[in-house]
Amino acid sequence: MKTGLYLSISPLLVVALGGALLMLAEAFSHHREEHESRSAGPSSELALGTAITLFTGAIFAAAVWFVGPEKLDGSQDLAPWLIIDRFTLFFAFTICVGGGLASLLAGGYLPEHRIDRGEFYPLLTFSSVGAIILAAAGDVLTLFLGLEIMSLGVYALTGFRRGSARSTEASMKYFLLGSFAAALLLYGAALIYGATGHTDLAGIRAALVAGNLNYGLVLIAVTLMIVGLAFKISAVPFHMWTPDAYEGAPTPATSFMAVVVKSAAFATMLRVLLVAFGQPELSSWGAGWPPIIATLAVLTMTVANLIAGRQESVKRMLAYSSIAHAGYILVGVTTTMRLHEDGQASVMFYLLAYTVSTIGAFGALILCGSRGAEAVSYEDLSGLGKRHPAVALVFSLFLLSLAGVPPTAGFFGKLYIVKGAIGAGLYPLSVILLLNSVLGAYYYLRVLVFMYMREPAPGAPFARPMKSGYVTSALVLAAVAVVALGLFPTTSLEVAVRAALAP
Amino acid sequence: MTSIPLEYYLIVAAALFLVGTVGFLLRRNLLVLLMSIELMLNSVNLTLVAYNRVHTESHAGQIFTFFVIAIAAAEAAVGLAIVLAFFRVRKTVRSDEADLLRN
Amino acid sequence: MLMAYASVAAFFLVAIGFILGSLLFGKVIRPNNMYAEKLETYECGEAPVGPAWFNFNPRFYIIALIYIVFDVEIAFVYPVATVFRRWVDAGRGMFALVEIFLFVVILMLGLVYVWVKGDLEWIRSIKGDPRGVQNVSSRTRPEIIKEHDLEEAMPQGAE
Repeated sequence: MKTGLYLSISPLLVVALGGALLMLAEAFSHHREEHESRSAGPSSELALGTAITLFTGAIFAAAVWFVGPEKLDGSQDLAPWLIIDRFTLFFAFTICVGGGLASLLAGGYLPEHRIDRGEFYPLLTFSSVGAIILAAAGDVLTLFLGLEIMSLGVYALTGFRRGSARSTEASMKYFLLGSFAAALLLYGAALIYGATGHTDLAGIRAALVAGNLNYGLVLIAVTLMIVGLAFKISAVPFHMWTPDAYEGAPTPATSFMAVVVKSAAFATMLRVLLVAFGQPELSSWGAGWPPIIATLAVLTMTVANLIAGRQESVKRMLAYSSIAHAGYILVGVTTTMRLHEDGQASVMFYLLAYTVSTIGAFGALILCGSRGAEAVSYEDLSGLGKRHPAVALVFSLFLLSLAGVPPTAGFFGKLYIVKGAIGAGLYPLSVILLLNSVLGAYYYLRVLVFMYMREPAPGAPFARPMKSGYVTSALVLAAVAVVALGLFPTTSLEVAVRAALAP
Repeated sequence: MTSIPLEYYLIVAAALFLVGTVGFLLRRNLLVLLMSIELMLNSVNLTLVAYNRVHTESHAGQIFTFFVIAIAAAEAAVGLAIVLAFFRVRKTVRSDEADLLRN
Repeated sequence: MLMAYASVAAFFLVAIGFILGSLLFGKVIRPNNMYAEKLETYECGEAPVGPAWFNFNPRFYIIALIYIVFDVEIAFVYPVATVFRRWVDAGRGMFALVEIFLFVVILMLGLVYVWVKGDLEWIRSIKGDPRGVQNVSSRTRPEIIKEHDLEEAMPQGAE
């Protein structure tokens, strides 16, 4: 009985156990019939339970961090299947925070829009378990398992409004492209196994360093794996599913997808690229993955920002903006080829800042609408600044953070990535990133213009904000985090630097 | 008795994978798309098991295959459920009629 | 090395020849008097009703889905059974037993969930049905469905 082992994987255990309990609680609860009062649905208890589970997971991750996973006896027993290091813990923390906030949003959203079925919460929790496994995976087998555990839950969450044509369509598109991507990734993994004889990332690297391999096979395999991962982080040109899935899904599920799935996918991308393919022959500008990732980054930022500006639906605009953010983060991933720790740290800090800002933006959008009048288009938001100044104020805060205006979290996220790109000598990339930030500011500020400077057309329907303690508390937590990360960025950056993978 | 060389398995697997990919990209019936994905996963299984004959130091490839089969079953269950939900609302299983969400 | 396949080819030739031969033989010696009743599809003596292509009760499908997921998991129990004795000899039998027991318990949780949810019952009450399915789509604004989407023809092969 090794206590150290169980302590070190405690974040995962807490969330998994919590998910199982929530599932049983949901099955045995007596909320099957239609309830007239809004507070009595399954959401009333399960949302809180889910949030507590996930935040407990985050606290455990932080606790293991402070003890130090290397000091816990047996924390490496599960390697290479699950690697418990500071990198994993950082991402487990981010995932748990994102999932917990998303479940709070769901607690308000589901009853309001009359899709108050309890399955949402166990699905969300199990997806988070998959995301943590994905972030911890040091073997292609667990990587695939985590990816699928996470994705299967999210497919179901996307189609949660199952009587709606849009929701089912979104879930169908997401499912098809998601499993197609998983199959590509898997075939790449199988070929790598064939070429090197290893499925664990460290073993793959050792075999690649030792040489004497079929390099054509390795090249095909690396390409397939990068394409599979690019689908998951929704990089252009593999982003086709993203706007549709994000728009059709219930908004809490959208925020979960935008935040948790993306963080976990970036975690595994970093680990695969840096651990398995991290040797200089495969990670320099002349050869290997950096030019591919850089191209993806440029395409993703530019295309997504150009399309986002043309959207009439705020939700779809946020979907494209999340693609654009993936592009910024890809710049950070590219910099890891020269700045090992700092590059990773900028990616991690950005993901944390992005998590709280995005959850906040989607949450504010949820808060702006109510049953039968979900806030969707820019017009829906016109005049909100006068009618509901508090809602408009927090919405503005999150949008400014996404746009990267100081002193918010998003500003420092972008700053560190640009700093890294300049430090790594990737000047064209940093210029493109800055230009794209300006493009991005246009559509974020357009929301502010509508909220503060426009009046709704006479007679036109306008969104009525809903009232929900859950959504409000999620927004307050996210707003505090955005401001705190903006005011004290260096502390969290140092944390991220310590979390970086060893070269 | 001569054994079948490794390349034969790999070529069959690659062909299966290609058939699956092309089917996924060209066909418009959702159920056929699901089958194409299953075909791709099965070609991965064949590749893994075939390579395990070369890398005899462990059973990693065969164990991997077990997991892929299990996950494929779960994926098919979720996929069929989603297609069923889609069919209930839209009364079609054609993927090109899924056109409510677009720019 | 191609000669190694000669036995396979011979096997196929014999197999095909046997089938063709026996069919031909039957054709030659049997009397040939067809009438309508004989030409019908054989359904264990019952008179066939309706076309064979019709929609099955979705209950079959739900049960099949649940079955297949549990069925595949058995694949993981079997390898443990084969190496169990070796683990016992190595003094880790208890560990393996507890581990596979936990695995089955997790599966059981799924079974309990399905059971409590009523998905194993053949006849379900309306109460257990998802509520608001019809209502949701028309209530919120982004859910407007174009007319033709709802009246689209049945998929190919469904009729």
